[in-house]
Amino acid sequence: METSGPGTTVGVNVALSGTLKDQSDISVFGMVEGEVISEKSVTIGQSAQVKGPVKGELVTISGVVRGAITASEKLELLETGKIFGSISTKNLVIHTGGIFVGKCEMPTGEETVGEPEVEADLEPSQANSEALIPDEE
Amino acid sequence: MYYYIMEPPSTRAVRQTYQRLRDQLTNLGIAGEMMAASPARSPEELATMGLDRGYSTIVAVGGDAFVNNIAQTVIGQAVLGIIPIGEAQQVSELIGTNNIRTAAEFLKFRRLSTFNTVTAEPESLIFLDAVIEPPRMAKVSFVIDGKLRGYAYFNKLTVTRNLEIKIESQHLVEPHKILGLFSVGGTVIRSESQFHGRAVRLTTEPELALLVRGQPLAKTPVQLRLNPNSLKVITKRGSIL
Repeated sequence: METSGPGTTVGVNVALSGTLKDQSDISVFGMVEGEVISEKSVTIGQSAQVKGPVKGELVTISGVVRGAITASEKLELLETGKIFGSISTKNLVIHTGGIFVGKCEMPTGEETVGEPEVEADLEPSQANSEALIPDEE
Repeated sequence: MYYYIMEPPSTRAVRQTYQRLRDQLTNLGIAGEMMAASPARSPEELATMGLDRGYSTIVAVGGDAFVNNIAQTVIGQAVLGIIPIGEAQQVSELIGTNNIRTAAEFLKFRRLSTFNTVTAEPESLIFLDAVIEPPRMAKVSFVIDGKLRGYAYFNKLTVTRNLEIKIESQHLVEPHKILGLFSVGGTVIRSESQFHGRAVRLTTEPELALLVRGQPLAKTPVQLRLNPNSLKVITKRGSIL
């Protein structure tokens, strides 16, 4: 059986429009107008300009991104990187010189841990309310 | 029994190699019908003859372009065997040897691997890397799977059997002159891109030929389509595809 593709690289002198989607890594050094989606890592190189949402597990930005970025594991904005758009990630690293203009959302494990606790609190009270229902007989 | 198609020998040394190969195949007990391609009988015609005679394994004896031609006829109808001779770097890597004796042994042990191929419409087959190399930098526009469009300037474009498109370019940025006398700077900018898909349309300016080892296969604009797991080839056991 053939192996899956080795990933996508957009070179310096390439311009793309549309949805760039790959199960493997994506590296962008040229211009992309549209979505950039990977199930693994997305690297936006220093010469790159991306206008559109970027999604990946690990996202590293050295170029310019105008659009929302979602990194399910980690987002790293390097010193030459510029982000104009909202970001969502669990782990965020912004190096000195990196520019970020937008909103940041950081979903943490605590929130997901907290939710069951609330439900756990509710359960006894529900049990109590059931106990308070008078026996019709 | 195998049906062998041999590339016309380019030198006396190759002719002698063919004779040695015949002996080796006989010793291994896999000598079959042997046909030599010629200007009068193309490899494709010979492969068709082999299929008509009911052979289920056609062995191409020759270089990359020759093997690619036979693969085009054999695909979906028979197993392809390969004995690399001459300019056969790609097929050697593919089957796992450039030694004809070892390749003959592979034929005897008959380990099959399945490979993707690409159809350059209407009917050309890309089994080995096909290349576009314009004399000077040219522009290519492409549409991948109908959802990604783009263009690039390139010196070399390669299409693989997995429908990976590799685009390479390099150009010199002019040096700056100080007071019209001294040149400063001047750097070579290299660019490498790689895409893959299941259907790709390539258009170049100007129109250019897609070649396998210098042999024209198709001409741009061209529509390329991936044929997953379409060609069975006898290779080394456990070879990396």
